[in-house]
Amino acid sequence: MEKPLIMVSSVTYAMKGKQILNNAGIRCEIERTPKRDMTTGCGYSLYVPKNTDEAEKILKENNIKIIGRAERSNQK
Amino acid sequence: MIYLDNSATTYPKPLKVRQAVSAAMQMSANPGRSGHDLALKSSEQIFLARKADAKFFNFSKEENVIFTLNCTMAVNMVLKGILKSGDHVVVSSLEHNAVMRPLEKLTQKGVSYTVAEVFPCDNDKTVNSFRNAINAKTKLIMCTHASNVWGIKLPIERISALAHEYGILFAVDAAQSAGIVPIDLNDSNIDFLCIAGHKGLYGPMGTGILIISGNTIPDTIIEGGTGTNSISFRQPDELPERFESGTPNYSGIIGLHAGFDFVNSNKISNISKHEFTLIKHLYQELKKIPKVKLYLPEPDEKYFVPILSFNIDGMDSENVSAILNKKGIAVRAGLQCSPLAHKMMGTLETGAVRISPSVFTKLTDINYLVSVIKKI
Repeated sequence: MEKPLIMVSSVTYAMKGKQILNNAGIRCEIERTPKRDMTTGCGYSLYVPKNTDEAEKILKENNIKIIGRAERSNQK
Repeated sequence: MIYLDNSATTYPKPLKVRQAVSAAMQMSANPGRSGHDLALKSSEQIFLARKADAKFFNFSKEENVIFTLNCTMAVNMVLKGILKSGDHVVVSSLEHNAVMRPLEKLTQKGVSYTVAEVFPCDNDKTVNSFRNAINAKTKLIMCTHASNVWGIKLPIERISALAHEYGILFAVDAAQSAGIVPIDLNDSNIDFLCIAGHKGLYGPMGTGILIISGNTIPDTIIEGGTGTNSISFRQPDELPERFESGTPNYSGIIGLHAGFDFVNSNKISNISKHEFTLIKHLYQELKKIPKVKLYLPEPDEKYFVPILSFNIDGMDSENVSAILNKKGIAVRAGLQCSPLAHKMMGTLETGAVRISPSVFTKLTDINYLVSVIKKI
């Protein structure tokens, strides 16, 4: 599945999610959600270039509130 | 100066706390707002502090650790966020004005409260007193973990069990106990823990914590920007952002994290033992001075935290404090913002002189205090 950005509801969840994924052996980075994908204004996402679907599943299992998935901006 | 006013705020602060504050001020950006590296690094530092603070109280949900200005703000967030018109609250006869003033304000909105008498060194009678104060409308029991005047410790595990037996929420004001007495949120069934960061946890002034450890989430008393969901005027539901609108006290939070580290590395049991050794010695020495009035039995770990208050016959407590100050000794006199606790002991007129040591206090400091008191 495309869309390697997993949008989360807060910076705290982004930090917690990053730690959970790193512990699970999945590399990720925290980024601001691109403006075009934001339905809510401002927010943070986890950029997961590989195993994104698995990462999303792990985050949900750990009660990380996920807003949705998005493509990464071209300039990144 | 010999500083014996550590119940007001600990002084000096540990070197690692001062270094952490300094480092935070030298390199930081607004956490939880922007996406540049420095802002994200600051956000990560706040997250790590939250996680460590939660672990200190054996609590796993770091997002339920809310940073506040102080313990008073945490208490206000609980009382004003939970109580509605018609609700009833039970508090102890040792409460600080941090609890009593917001409660009194809430009576204007139809909230009522009952003060349950505390019986020093008799937990059975104290718990029974709380039981008798409960009525059909009781929504919350809130009590101090330890009196900021007399050091009397309340049996919070038993009061928590009592509250939940009746389906009542339980909140603890741990201003004087956090860092001195172990608190296990996994074991104690406390719904809300209100903490001062700058006392027994050795953090900077202007730091406090509210831990929402139960399932009930209070309404907010402050709303504003959180860096998320900005298109909406509605306050977000997610913790901790729901309760942390506006720019946080970043350097304070990082300094407090170092304070937690300091307490962890020194161990609560060692800190408590050290302070009790000093307070017990002081008690024995003051007991030998006829003009000194002591109000309670010698403090021990079972029923007290290491705080001792006294008076000198025929003297106002503030005068005693002023004399001690001239001799280079810093103590707190008067009512210590706790008129209820003074009413209980009959010292509302005179106040009392409070001695509160820290991990840095030495036996020679206490002996000097005693020598000065003997000459008054």
